[in-house]
Amino acid sequence: MTAPQRAAARLSRVTRLFDGLAAVSQVSLEIAQGETVWLRGWNGSGKTTLLRLIATAISPTFGDGSVLGFDLRAERSAIRARTDLLSHETRLYGDLTAAENLRFACSLYDIDARLAEPALERVGLEEVAAVRVGRYSQGMRQRLALARCLMRAPALVLLDEPYAALDADARVVVDELLTTARAGRRTAVVASHEAPPAHLIDREVMMDGGRVTAPAGVVPS
Amino acid sequence: MSMRVAQAIVAKDLRTEVRSRSAVSTVLPFAATMLLAFGFALGPDRLLLAETAPALLWLAALFASVELCHRSYQHEAANDALEGLLLSPADKGAVYLGKAAAAFVQLIVLLVVTTGIVIVLFGLPVGPAPALLLLTGVLGIAGLSTLGSLLGLLAVRSRSRQAALPVLVLPLVSPVIIAATRATADLTHGITAGIGGWLGLLVAFDAAYLAAGYIVFGHLLED
Repeated sequence: MTAPQRAAARLSRVTRLFDGLAAVSQVSLEIAQGETVWLRGWNGSGKTTLLRLIATAISPTFGDGSVLGFDLRAERSAIRARTDLLSHETRLYGDLTAAENLRFACSLYDIDARLAEPALERVGLEEVAAVRVGRYSQGMRQRLALARCLMRAPALVLLDEPYAALDADARVVVDELLTTARAGRRTAVVASHEAPPAHLIDREVMMDGGRVTAPAGVVPS
Repeated sequence: MSMRVAQAIVAKDLRTEVRSRSAVSTVLPFAATMLLAFGFALGPDRLLLAETAPALLWLAALFASVELCHRSYQHEAANDALEGLLLSPADKGAVYLGKAAAAFVQLIVLLVVTTGIVIVLFGLPVGPAPALLLLTGVLGIAGLSTLGSLLGLLAVRSRSRQAALPVLVLPLVSPVIIAATRATADLTHGITAGIGGWLGLLVAFDAAYLAAGYIVFGHLLED
């Protein structure tokens, strides 16, 4: 693979405290554009917090950084427009159907609502598109969240335990998402206990106790 | 884009309400029960009932608005959909306007039903200026929905959750309740002189809550 030119994410000594305890501590990390990174670590190692920091769902207590060239604190809107965070909390509305959920997302992200239907087909939910999401299994909800991500095609995809609660067919959808991201020179960070297929990963970053412990693109101090 | 976002929020909230029927199944019975309880407590004196009816009507609207706004944000909090709003690039002020507009529509429906109950149970007269009475209702509900939609978010983000909402809403909404009650009382008793002052007060507070909500909603939504 050719060396990517720009950083998709660059964190410098980022720390996040919750009630005085550091969930992420002094993390310096650089993720190149077009890279697919596997973020490894045990429960509580800080993987989810790190993803949420990059997605701007939470702010760093200390440290700074940029995502896709935009400042982590000052340019959140620009980052959010180009990033998607997928986690076990699917951010879907149970009283809306799958199609309505996607159309609602289209309104929020100012994208064409006609993209909803093909996205549902790609994750195999087209036949239950008119069923309320409250009746879906967790796996189906995960698929729908994947469809939302596919529809948006963001420059940076952050996947938090994407293989959890998914059956074999849906795992294929996750892998397809990663393949599509690679093909489009988009960046993906996968936080998972479970190893993604090796051919889809460019490098691993290990976390433990809120710190990056194994090879990472370190920002010079 | 902002208008599209606000419209999408309104459509989503109203669709959710139609399907979950949370206002119909909880808020409306609550308001109706409250009015019935007061009606029986006050006794058969028609004059006393008519005198107290405007205040009871607006108290019912107030408590209904607290419950309705709380439920609206509970729907957002489920599956972390609130974070979905945060992480979207949508104008957060437009999100707020959508939430407030959806609450407004639901509360207007609720007010129409509770007003019907009050007219039947308490013998509240409509008075000689029904258009002004209607305007009072619209302005009063606008105040409740604009403030409730802002503080509902604050309550769902706070650790004390539902308990926080009445504590936040009740002191701030007092001017709206007082003005709406006074205007309703005057109009139903045929007094139109001085009504402009109460309506002006309602407009001022509605505008202030709306502007504050538009500006600070995004900040409250952030971590």
